[in-house]
Amino acid sequence: MQTTAWLVLGLPLAGSILIGLLHKQLKGKAAGYLGTAVLAGAFLCTILTLISLQDRTEEERQVVFVAWDYAKTVGVDAQLSILIDPLSLLMMGVVTGVSTLIHLYSIAYMVSDKGYNRFFAYLNFFVFSMLLLVMAANFLVLVIGWAFVGAASYLLISFWYRRKSATDAGIKAFVINVVGDIGLVLGTYFIFKHSGSLDFLTTFEGAEKSFGEHGNNDLTAGCLLLLVGAFAKSAQIPLHTWLPDAMEGPTPVSSLIHAATMVTAGVYLIARMHPLFELAPTAADVGAVIGAVTLLVAGTIGLVVTDLKRVIAYSTMSQIGYMVMGVSSGAYVAGLFHLMTHAFFKALLFMAAGSVIGAMAGQQNLDKMGGFRKAMPFTFGCFVIGGLALAGIPPFSGFFSKDEILLVIGEEGGWHWGLYVAGYVGAFLTAVYTWRMIFRAFFGEACPEAKELEGGHLHHAEVHTNPANGEVEDTDVGFPGSEHHIAERAPEMKVAMGVLAVLATIGGFLQIPKVTHILEDFLEPTFADSHVHHATSDGLLVLGLVLGAVLGLAGIAVAYRVWVQQPGTSAKVLERFKPLHTLFVNKWYFDELIGLVVVRPGAWIGRVARSSFERIFVNGTLVGGSTGVIKASSSAVRAVQTGLLRSYAALLLLGLTVVGLYFLLSA
Amino acid sequence: MNIEWFLTVSALIFCIGAAGVITRRNPLVILLCLELMLNAANLALIAFSRMHGNHDGQVFAVIVMVVAACEVTVGLGVIVAMYRRRVPIDVDELRELQG
Amino acid sequence: MTIHLSLLLWAPAALALVGAVLPGRAVGRALAGLGAFAALAYAIALVIDYESGGGLQYVTDEIWIRELGVHYKLGVDGLNLFLVLLTTILFTATTLWSLSEKTREREGQYWLHLGLGHSFVLGALMAQDLALFVVFFDLMLIPFFFLALGWGEGARAEKTAAIIKLVIYTLVGSLLMLTAAIALAVLSASQSGNDLSFAFTDLTQVTLTKGSQEWIFLCFAAAFLVKMPSFPFHGWMPDGYKVLPLPVLAVFSGILSKVAAYGFLRIVIPILPDAAVHFQTLMLLIALASILYGSVMAFTVTNARLILGYSSLAQLGFIVLGAFSLTEQGAQGAILQSVNHGLVVAPAFFLAGAAAVRCGGSEDIRDMGGIAFRAPILTTLFLIVAMANLAIPGSSNFVGEFLILLGVFDAKLAIACIAFTGVALAAVYTLRLFIRAMHNRVGQDVDSRDLSLHDAVVLVPLVLCILALALYPQLALEKGEETVKGSVAAARLVQDPPKTPPRTAGTTPVPVTPGGGQGVVIDPATGQPVDPSAGGGQGVVIDPATGQPVDPSAGGGQPVQIDPSTGQPVDPANPADPGVVIDPGTGEPVDPNAVDPNATGGTP
Repeated sequence: MQTTAWLVLGLPLAGSILIGLLHKQLKGKAAGYLGTAVLAGAFLCTILTLISLQDRTEEERQVVFVAWDYAKTVGVDAQLSILIDPLSLLMMGVVTGVSTLIHLYSIAYMVSDKGYNRFFAYLNFFVFSMLLLVMAANFLVLVIGWAFVGAASYLLISFWYRRKSATDAGIKAFVINVVGDIGLVLGTYFIFKHSGSLDFLTTFEGAEKSFGEHGNNDLTAGCLLLLVGAFAKSAQIPLHTWLPDAMEGPTPVSSLIHAATMVTAGVYLIARMHPLFELAPTAADVGAVIGAVTLLVAGTIGLVVTDLKRVIAYSTMSQIGYMVMGVSSGAYVAGLFHLMTHAFFKALLFMAAGSVIGAMAGQQNLDKMGGFRKAMPFTFGCFVIGGLALAGIPPFSGFFSKDEILLVIGEEGGWHWGLYVAGYVGAFLTAVYTWRMIFRAFFGEACPEAKELEGGHLHHAEVHTNPANGEVEDTDVGFPGSEHHIAERAPEMKVAMGVLAVLATIGGFLQIPKVTHILEDFLEPTFADSHVHHATSDGLLVLGLVLGAVLGLAGIAVAYRVWVQQPGTSAKVLERFKPLHTLFVNKWYFDELIGLVVVRPGAWIGRVARSSFERIFVNGTLVGGSTGVIKASSSAVRAVQTGLLRSYAALLLLGLTVVGLYFLLSA
Repeated sequence: MNIEWFLTVSALIFCIGAAGVITRRNPLVILLCLELMLNAANLALIAFSRMHGNHDGQVFAVIVMVVAACEVTVGLGVIVAMYRRRVPIDVDELRELQG
Repeated sequence: MTIHLSLLLWAPAALALVGAVLPGRAVGRALAGLGAFAALAYAIALVIDYESGGGLQYVTDEIWIRELGVHYKLGVDGLNLFLVLLTTILFTATTLWSLSEKTREREGQYWLHLGLGHSFVLGALMAQDLALFVVFFDLMLIPFFFLALGWGEGARAEKTAAIIKLVIYTLVGSLLMLTAAIALAVLSASQSGNDLSFAFTDLTQVTLTKGSQEWIFLCFAAAFLVKMPSFPFHGWMPDGYKVLPLPVLAVFSGILSKVAAYGFLRIVIPILPDAAVHFQTLMLLIALASILYGSVMAFTVTNARLILGYSSLAQLGFIVLGAFSLTEQGAQGAILQSVNHGLVVAPAFFLAGAAAVRCGGSEDIRDMGGIAFRAPILTTLFLIVAMANLAIPGSSNFVGEFLILLGVFDAKLAIACIAFTGVALAAVYTLRLFIRAMHNRVGQDVDSRDLSLHDAVVLVPLVLCILALALYPQLALEKGEETVKGSVAAARLVQDPPKTPPRTAGTTPVPVTPGGGQGVVIDPATGQPVDPSAGGGQGVVIDPATGQPVDPSAGGGQPVQIDPSTGQPVDPANPADPGVVIDPGTGEPVDPNAVDPNATGGTP
């Protein structure tokens, strides 16, 4: 088990390094297949690890493997160690599984890009980082994985690095993620102060002893800071502004990192830290409320955005809001369940969107799309399956997982009813914006590109431009490649999407209320020490399931009415709720707010520091002062240096006489 | 003979030399005056040596003479070189060291 | 293996001197390279051979000036071991880089100055005698002065002005330090009654009065803060960095600043613990100001060198922060971070140079852009260095910052929280530099081409060093741990006197002679470091019952009695059994039947 566990981590890293070193030798699709193969190997190793873990008794299903001492000094006990338990295995499975499929998809999708090898090196590195994050057995390794994931995400967002819009988005994502890292590190300090250990299991076991039965203020502060880390990575308000911009990256990146895996790290973190969060209920409540707010805000923005990928991005934010809300309220299994199903259907949706964007020759604007239903039947099918799962229509996977979260929250009672209602309002919004996207892209009058494709020809742009701002580009390294690819014509893409479509359909069967509880049993060892126990009331269960299904269907119906039956409706609604629309289109002005509060003052301080402080104080007063003193004193001394030899001689004699007289008189 | 006489003569010669160094402008004369001062010191050394009855002072006087010889050699050499280059032979004109 | 530090110390200078004297350009170049490599190899052997936790090792101790008690004493311990290695690595890199550059004028002299610089820096790091340290600390400046003057960049007038500014600035600091060093030795000698000595081990034995500690501290701090530089004493830095030739700048920024940081941990904190505690907040605030100011400036300036310069200002702020957290974690982090920063900033300067070459010689990031286009290897190296510079978790720099901030977190929570802003800002300015240079549209005069072989010879090993340390920072941490603990032990004791009474029966808190290293006194009973002043030099008495210092003139002048059978203090008012009486004046046990009337306050 030790070998396979380390292999899971080692294979993607080896793949990344290998592709990097051989970037000149690997020709054609070789790098793509190599990258995919190592991930398939990692997935296989995950399965093997899973099998050997399941052989153990339930009490022994938390295993730590240590590679070497990393920073074991002056009271800090950081080792390079990994923790294998059901939770990390679930995450490993999702990460390696979905990544393998997305790599497979990318083999074809990215093939005409000049940075093909670089892309796979980065992508493998990302998977390695993500695995390091979920397999970490102590806070330090977790932070390392956390930051590596951020770095990999940065590299991939600005993969087309000659686009300024991409590098701007990259630095934004990176910096917000660094803010998250800082939260995580600072939170670690608060926890380490009492626990005296960075190791997860040691910290959790001694949690009640080190923080007291009911926790203490330091623990609450620590957990709140961990939440800052979680929010930054999982794009929760107010640290979410980077995620929509991150759509500058290639579509497979959006699919893998900004939908299926990385952004769920925050959910994983809260689930992993559940023994601490249970002792700090205030922090957990903050997490739940922020999750609820995010899911509503993101849902409203999703209604008005016209960029295909950004609609899905806001939907991701919103869905992660559900998960954060869930795990913060003690619905660990449900939250992780939703994490898994979401990974399936959201990856699928992005892949399908990538296919549509391919058909549009890089164009992402929904306003210009339409009628792709006939031209791209396979993509359409996948989109519909993803859309149904996202909207929570039975029996697709999203239906079960979303309702399970809300069920647990409903059972909490009290003010959690507010979250419950928010969750169902969000579900309705989700159905509306998801199907708005589908109806606008696939129904209605066929756009020129769709017609061209129906005629058997894939549209190609005459002049390549940046869809964000229309700048003219070439197709060399640092810009997207010359050709675009659609699922209908690329078997690799088709296979990847097909597998995910199946998973998105049946994934929910792992946890059908009252019927199956595979995931719950599997995760039991990790959450055995949890104090949160839920009594299940059948009434609430039935209510939730019915409500979920009805709201989902209602949302689709509304979307159908507005965008298919009566295409003018949306314009009318827009007119009536102009201020609200403006608010949503401007993303609730979060970017402007952050700019006003953080960026502008920072830049102002910088300018002032440089133009006045540095010049007047440092150079003027300090440097000028000290050189001034030296200049003045030296010019005083210089006056004596007349250059007249005879005056020197006279001075010498005078001095001698004075000294001589002094000794004579004093003697 | 009393030591005072020797010292008086020595002091007189020294003062003459010093006055010469300060007042004259010709480097050649200044060198001469410097010699006077050195020899005044030599005279004092030898007088003290005689008074104490040991030879330390005489040794020093000899060393001073050697140094003085070197100094004159260099000094005269410089003056000759200046003359050849048509630099004015006047110490007041040579003020490059002015600060 | 016997290792002679003198050999390591003088090899570069000696070979450079020979090279300068011998005719022939090739000979000079070969000897310069040989000197650097010999020192590097020797330093590697030193690190391998060094025994963890073994205190000061490979000590060379000769009397240099007997009358003044100045010794030629060299030694290596956990504090300077890796800094010595870093010095040799960076000088080797600089030598290699200079070898590959276009021929320069008066090349023989260039190598001579570089070799001298190498030796002097090593001397300052290895000196175990304060006078020797001061000598090397000042000598260091001279070769760099000539290097800047002779081979510097920019117009003549501008160059001279910048160099004069640099020299005057650092000289003022040095003079203050000289004064402080002399005062320190003289005061210590007069207080302890021993002969005048400058050796660190002797100086740590004596705790000066608080008043003299304080002004001596300020003089040292001024010298070191100027040298680093630290806000607000960085006035010489922008101009100085602009004129220094690039390869020289790499060592200058990489290692000379660390000597100052090292000075804090080697001299200031162990020898002047009371003052260190007294000025802790001030120093932390200066460090914090450096971090914030450096970071803010680094993202407003556009010259690549200055971005790195101000970034160093911020990073050195972190190092000072760690040292003056006066915690073991902070000090350990500070030493690690010194090594890390040196390893990162030197290749960063080389890379900035490589980038400048590719855009027509301009070092302004506004003229750069898109250099990555045809230069994947260069970009990858730049990326790794940039990530290390912003201390991404997983780099050794992060471990350093983690320890530093953990130490500060324990000492001053608020300062740690504000200092984290610096971490975020580091990400902003480092990425800004990386993106503006390597990414975005290809600039007008940019000619993107990959690393040449001789660039790679220098850069690849340096980057590999960064990666190796990132994978296994324990290497440096482990060898440094014991010494670092000793370095802050005295200050910790001042801050937080031991609360537990001695447990072993009959043991009295008489200080034992130090085992070596920094001369920390360990109480054999508790294993805790004991304030050396408890022994009587200061006349401060530690009450073994409370661990608090007792004023002998006040009511606490009562001798405290320890029951030899229990080790517990006995109530002096009720001396049930005749225990051992501790004289508060000397800390020695006193015969209870013959109580010293002076010590008991006149009430026998």
